[in-house]
Amino acid sequence: MRPLYGLFLLTFRELWAKKVVLGLFVISSLVLLVVTFALNLNVVEGSLQGLRLFGQEATPAPSANGQGASEGPQLTLTNVVVTVEAIVAGMAYWIGILLALFASASLFPELQAPGRVELLLSKPISRMQALLGHVLGVWVLVGILTVYLMGGTWLIMSIKSGVWHPRFLLSILLVVGMFAVMYAAVLLMGVWTESTALALIVSYGLIFVSLVLAGAESIGPLLGSVGRPVLWGLYHALPNFSEVTELVVRLARDDPISSWYPLWSSLAFGGVAYGVSGYWFVRRDF
Amino acid sequence: MPAAISVSDLSKTYRTGLLSRSTVKALRGVSLEVPKGEIFGLLGPNGAGKTTLVKILLGLVHRSGGTARLFGTPVQTPAARQRIGFLPENHQFPGFLTARQTLHVYGRLADVPQIRREEKIDELLRRVELYERRDTKVNTFSKGMLQRLGLAQALLNDPDLLFLDEPTSGVDPVGRRTLRDLVLELRDEGATIFLNSHLLSEVEKVCSGIAILRDGEVVRKGTIKELTAVERVYDLVSTPVPDDVLDDTVLRSSPDGTAPAPDLRAYRLQADDRATLNGVLDRLRAADVQIESITPLRRSLEDYFIDVVDPPSDVDATG
Repeated sequence: MRPLYGLFLLTFRELWAKKVVLGLFVISSLVLLVVTFALNLNVVEGSLQGLRLFGQEATPAPSANGQGASEGPQLTLTNVVVTVEAIVAGMAYWIGILLALFASASLFPELQAPGRVELLLSKPISRMQALLGHVLGVWVLVGILTVYLMGGTWLIMSIKSGVWHPRFLLSILLVVGMFAVMYAAVLLMGVWTESTALALIVSYGLIFVSLVLAGAESIGPLLGSVGRPVLWGLYHALPNFSEVTELVVRLARDDPISSWYPLWSSLAFGGVAYGVSGYWFVRRDF
Repeated sequence: MPAAISVSDLSKTYRTGLLSRSTVKALRGVSLEVPKGEIFGLLGPNGAGKTTLVKILLGLVHRSGGTARLFGTPVQTPAARQRIGFLPENHQFPGFLTARQTLHVYGRLADVPQIRREEKIDELLRRVELYERRDTKVNTFSKGMLQRLGLAQALLNDPDLLFLDEPTSGVDPVGRRTLRDLVLELRDEGATIFLNSHLLSEVEKVCSGIAILRDGEVVRKGTIKELTAVERVYDLVSTPVPDDVLDDTVLRSSPDGTAPAPDLRAYRLQADDRATLNGVLDRLRAADVQIESITPLRRSLEDYFIDVVDPPSDVDATG
């Protein structure tokens, strides 16, 4: 277990040493500072009486029952809390994952570089353990950053408002889970090609494709007899990154989830990609 | 008692190109044994298969056939690497770590417990003369310092078998001597050392046994003394041999020998068989010649190596 733990720690430290990760930590801290000090909720007996952002009034004057003015969407305390949390969750999902992929994409190709891989694989550690230690190191650091940002936001908003909805915490698992899925693509390309650039192109490409696949129901009928099954094949085979955004936001807003399928199919893709990565890594000559 | 390294009929074929159609045979039935406690040198021209052999022993490359064992354990199992240390030629440490942190990281990977690591790291940093720089980031280190840190890394788990791949590459003469002394000390402490170096003079100074690879096959193996001895030619140092004896025997003045004392002379003797050699010695004794020493003539390892690896135009011993 010691060598596995050693590689876990090495990966963790290596990722932490990347400026992008430090940047993510600083941005997360700024978001938490804004949520803590710049967002002021005037709550009286459980109702929102006013909302100030950076000292400026951010809502129309509330009515007597604590709700906003009659024009536009009604602004309740719960609405404000879940909206803030949903914004942070959406940010963590899109910006956080994209930047975390950018920061971590070079790690495995670097680990396999001549001069590094010999030092690692000549130790009494199996290749599967080496891969596992690396992957766990990446997951755990991204998990810590996600918990710091999203968990911190949830805690601050809940304390400030008195509105606690623990379901939001599930969205943390979704963000980390989807990072893990997309990192599987990065790892697969890293093991196969040892190219950081290609790993990033493929993972970002999959995210872009998922934007198209999210509209499969509307696009499908427009396609011919060949295009339609291809589109549906891709929809089921590739990660549904874009569609999972809706799950994250729905969890953050405490809305019901109609289907978890985009998440399950994405996790299946991740599982297969990790399996293939492991198989190739074990069989490779260095 | 199993040998430190035991390789039998080892082969490796690399498959390259689309659908792995083209093949390169890097090793063809290599067999050799390295006994414990020996400094063993692996030599060969570029592309001979030395690197492939070392990488198979370290589990970096999968063999295509044959067997390879370290202390009796098949090399494909991680346990085989429990008792080994390895210094790769162009190793790269994560630049953001200090010397001490680097050794902690690789010590942990080598399964060295924390308490042992704490003791060992300070001891090794002193031994490789990096203790003063222990808290300096390794990306500021010179090539020689990195090489010494690499050696410290390889020694963290008190290895019984140490693989050194071009350990003196890029190291200045003083550093080279430090490394050489360290290798000899380790041998004296009981470690087996497997040295892959193109500096034949270094190999000659420290190794007892060698193997020469060419085109993926072991073409020579044995001790340096055995291999570099010129068959049936001897250097003889004695009191001056009378001219009549010199004319009648196969004894000639040595072309390059210098006698160790003013009253002695150096000769070269070519005896085709044992009887001839003894006959010459009898004649010398009969002529009242005092023999100081008689030793088989040796070539330098470099001359021997060049003779073995044909064509002689490619004299570089790296693989």
